[in-house]
Amino acid sequence: MAKNKNKGKPRNYALDSGVYRFSASKMFHKKAIHKFLKKTVAKKPADKKPVFVEKKIKGDKNGGTRMVRVKKLTNNVPTMDVKTCILHTKRKSVFSKHSRKLRPSLTPGVVAIILAGVHKGKRVVALKQLETGLLLITGPLKLNGCPLRRINQRYLLATKTSINVSGVKVPETINDKYFARVKSDNKVKKDGNIFENKKEDYKPSEQRKADRASVDKQVLEAIKKHPQGAALKSYFKAGFGLNKGEYPHKMIF
Amino acid sequence: MAPKSGRLYAKAVFTGFKRGLRNQHENTALLKVDGCAGQEDARRYIGKRCVYVYKAKNKTSVPNSKEKSQLRCIWGKVTRPPGNAGSVRAKFRRNLPPQAMGCRVRIMLYPSRI
Repeated sequence: MAKNKNKGKPRNYALDSGVYRFSASKMFHKKAIHKFLKKTVAKKPADKKPVFVEKKIKGDKNGGTRMVRVKKLTNNVPTMDVKTCILHTKRKSVFSKHSRKLRPSLTPGVVAIILAGVHKGKRVVALKQLETGLLLITGPLKLNGCPLRRINQRYLLATKTSINVSGVKVPETINDKYFARVKSDNKVKKDGNIFENKKEDYKPSEQRKADRASVDKQVLEAIKKHPQGAALKSYFKAGFGLNKGEYPHKMIF
Repeated sequence: MAPKSGRLYAKAVFTGFKRGLRNQHENTALLKVDGCAGQEDARRYIGKRCVYVYKAKNKTSVPNSKEKSQLRCIWGKVTRPPGNAGSVRAKFRRNLPPQAMGCRVRIMLYPSRI
């Protein structure tokens, strides 16, 4: 057989006027349909598809199985369009799946100034970023009274000073759950007088104190090793504040 | 313990509302930040929160504290620098009262971008 140069090209094509080039009889010859006319393919017995399918269901008292139609009836319209359902679930961006960004200036070991909150104005050491995106920082406690704490990046002013904290190992247990607020057992107190609920002042647990002490020890050592260690200590102790003539837009931190 | 911290905000003055010659739009305030001259400087403050703090006669409750105080504040945000002279536009949760013109507004350093 000669190599078909026209393989893949359509046998028939439309002319400008919209009429096709070759008539039905011509196509008959082109396609060599005479060859296929007498060929008949044996009719395969149609696979009888079951109308109902037995499916297992949960629940003790539900009878165990149900007969479910394989092909749903046309009048079976779901209350919510499946596509929109999936769209909705795809659109919802769950917080746990959000991408966490970290400002390049806030690397571990950087000294930062806390801008708001109870510890505002304090210079602290940034340790690492937790899963929720919050930064783990420590005073250290002895220097400025700031404990191991979580803080949002937005409330930190990173300075160019940084301490080598590669040697500081923060225990793996310190994560967001560790810092989560402890909810008081309201159910237990329901039996008693609801109005007797006292708001208990926050007291750091022993676990916290121990962890804090161990991390702080390592951080303090890192500070000592820093070439300006002694000066850094008083740097930490002093708070940050703007004075007359000091304008944040003109300052490099 | 660290000594009480110094100022953690930039000082600004509420100069007036956004306005043309004959019409003013009170929803946007114009603030003149101390020491800020020029759009480049003003750009550093975009997005920062600002507060107008004032005193009132009656004592009202303070969040997270049992004591009531006479200090009240209106919070807002620096939105953009208008023009080239280093002032700054801000939108407050509720419009600033015109009494505040010429008065101190604090521009906090957060949300920080540094």
